[in-house]
Amino acid sequence: MRIQSLNRRSLLKAAATGVVASNMSALDVLSQPALANELAREGKSVILLWLAGGASQLETWDPKPGRRTGGPYAKIKTKVPGIEISELLPKMANQLDETAIIRSLNTKIADHGQAYTLMDIGRIPEPGVHFPHLGSIIAHELGQIDSQVPDFVYMYTQTEGRRQDSAGYLGARYNPMFLTDKMMPDDLHRLDAISDVDHHDRSALRDFMAKRFIRDLNNPSIGSHENAYSRVQGLMASDYLFDIGREPQAMRDHYGPTQFGQQCLAARRLVEAGVPFVKVARAWWDSHGQNFETHRELCADLDHCMSALLEDLKQRGLLSKTLVITLGEFGRTPQINGSLGRDHFASAWSCTLSGCGIRGGTVYGKTDDDGHTVVDGEMKAGDLFATIFAALGIEHDKEHMLGSRPIPLSDFGSKPCREVLA
Amino acid sequence: MNAKNLKRIDEWTSQDILFCIAQDCVNSRLWVGSSDFKIYEVDLSKEKPTRIEFQGQHQSYVTGMVRVGQMLVTSSYDRHLQWWDIVERKLIRTVRAHEGWIRRVIESADSKQVISIGDDMQCKVWDAESGSAVASFSDHQSLTPHHFPSMLYAVAASADGKWIATGDKVGHVALWDAHRFEKVGELETPVMYTWDAKARMHSIGGIRSLAFSPDSERLAVGGTGKIGNIDHLEGPARLEVFNRASGQRELELEDKNKKGLIEQIVWSPDQQWIVTAGGDNNGFITIYDAKSGELQHQEGQNGHIHGIACDETFANIFAASHERISRWTLA
Repeated sequence: MRIQSLNRRSLLKAAATGVVASNMSALDVLSQPALANELAREGKSVILLWLAGGASQLETWDPKPGRRTGGPYAKIKTKVPGIEISELLPKMANQLDETAIIRSLNTKIADHGQAYTLMDIGRIPEPGVHFPHLGSIIAHELGQIDSQVPDFVYMYTQTEGRRQDSAGYLGARYNPMFLTDKMMPDDLHRLDAISDVDHHDRSALRDFMAKRFIRDLNNPSIGSHENAYSRVQGLMASDYLFDIGREPQAMRDHYGPTQFGQQCLAARRLVEAGVPFVKVARAWWDSHGQNFETHRELCADLDHCMSALLEDLKQRGLLSKTLVITLGEFGRTPQINGSLGRDHFASAWSCTLSGCGIRGGTVYGKTDDDGHTVVDGEMKAGDLFATIFAALGIEHDKEHMLGSRPIPLSDFGSKPCREVLA
Repeated sequence: MNAKNLKRIDEWTSQDILFCIAQDCVNSRLWVGSSDFKIYEVDLSKEKPTRIEFQGQHQSYVTGMVRVGQMLVTSSYDRHLQWWDIVERKLIRTVRAHEGWIRRVIESADSKQVISIGDDMQCKVWDAESGSAVASFSDHQSLTPHHFPSMLYAVAASADGKWIATGDKVGHVALWDAHRFEKVGELETPVMYTWDAKARMHSIGGIRSLAFSPDSERLAVGGTGKIGNIDHLEGPARLEVFNRASGQRELELEDKNKKGLIEQIVWSPDQQWIVTAGGDNNGFITIYDAKSGELQHQEGQNGHIHGIACDETFANIFAASHERISRWTLA
């Protein structure tokens, strides 16, 4: 199937080089809404902290202490007057001015696989249409065609619940660079048998011959081939981005010793270098037994790593351009089972959005006193996607044409939640 | 008594989770600590026992309870110990005792002190009457080897008044001189701790119960064995028994029939049996021969058992459980 949409990159390039209108001043460019939006999106990135298995909203962002469903943890005040979160997140309590909490997700599906797909693509899957992952859409929208860095990096080290996200109809160009066992991508280094000099000489020779070939053949598909080649070269040269050993020890200490911390640091390095979408999965929150012990462990990791990431991004001036999301496939039941566990629950759960385009220090939506249902501001997966797109300056209702069928970026009927947008 | 006589004879259901229990069978009374943060007296003399609420409450789950004379001392995840008058059912005193969840409170052999443990990894000794602090000590790391918070789950005091034992999440047991509060030994039970480095990257388990034998010569350690899928309490209930003086492991028992955690261990007064209680989603009581380790008898129930209390004759066992209190007999 052929996908047609306005190619914003070519438009931007043309605008920047004066091809669109030779007399267009910079002010004129910005006065054109489409172009102004394009420029506004430049340099924006997303870091998705994927809480795989389903973190409990009651032990994180929507505590209900004192209720039968509330569990043992207290709630604590945050930096933002009137907003309280679980005592398991004390460091995030001090950074909540950069974060919007959404407490009213109602996505209904409480099966791991189906719920993962829903929160992966933002809509119910349909036979015959291979919808792209959120990261692929954002990579497509924010990535640069001639980028020397990956567009979508996805780290999922644990094995439980691991799935490879797909770019679907957007094509393999927007599939994630998928890192599982190691933080360094496989097959990125030149072969040991080839010296650095040989590698560069070969590349120069290939470039020389390719230019003559392109000039003589005058075929557009050759340009695509050329792009792919330069992209591979760029990826090979970007291996240093994954090497957190290049960071000062103080910065590594800032993120802490856990694997999740190290991956959050790598994520920061990647977005700093221009990678538009990085997903860091932290499995596994599926606490059917011993929910409170599990959350005491995992929330300590989340609290430290997320707050370290936000602080680091802010100090580097990157937070205003980087949207940090915490999300999983669902939340956990208000009822506490016989093993002191909580089971799958998708009717009233929480996520957070921090940084780029977000009105920090806000809470959107409300659940009832025991957390069984959403009583205000119900949000579906499509609405969350629309909100994420809006925060990044991407039109959520922009359509891809799949043959003759228009497909909006976020699901039909979805709307951004303006209350959490800056 | 015959272990095979063990059977459940009563069950009183509720909507809360009961974590701890103390008994006064002479006067047909029980006390329980609840997930609703409150303390209740249960009058067993009535055909349908009713729960009578104490005045006052904790601010989180009530995790431990010990009767000292006419007082109850309770512990909570709210980091406080509370002293209660059991006649008036009134709160006498609240003490901020730990900088972390308090997991359990017990009494010393002479009942003059109470001993608490918490997730600040401290074991603390208190004057039972005045509530004043006597000592604080620890041999337990606050982080696991994998850099996550550890927990101090279990404590026991020996009947001869000489020893205290504390046990943590990673399977480390410290033995203490109960008068000088100095460490005199340590034991390791690493199987109790499951770290899943590959699939889920977190842990489960830990030492959940400790009990000295009546002659104070042996120490029983309870928890769970290795768990494959740590989403659930699906590991075998695990009991290890050590010689206190030598540190030698004498028994190492795993029960694949009744899975989950051993939450409490009680030795029979004649040292013939070791009674264990706990569970996964449901509960069990299991009786082992204390010498051979042979499983004598076990029974299950709906609802995980968090704590048990035996009467002086060892004929009645009361269990604080998930949404119920149950009464068992060995008579």
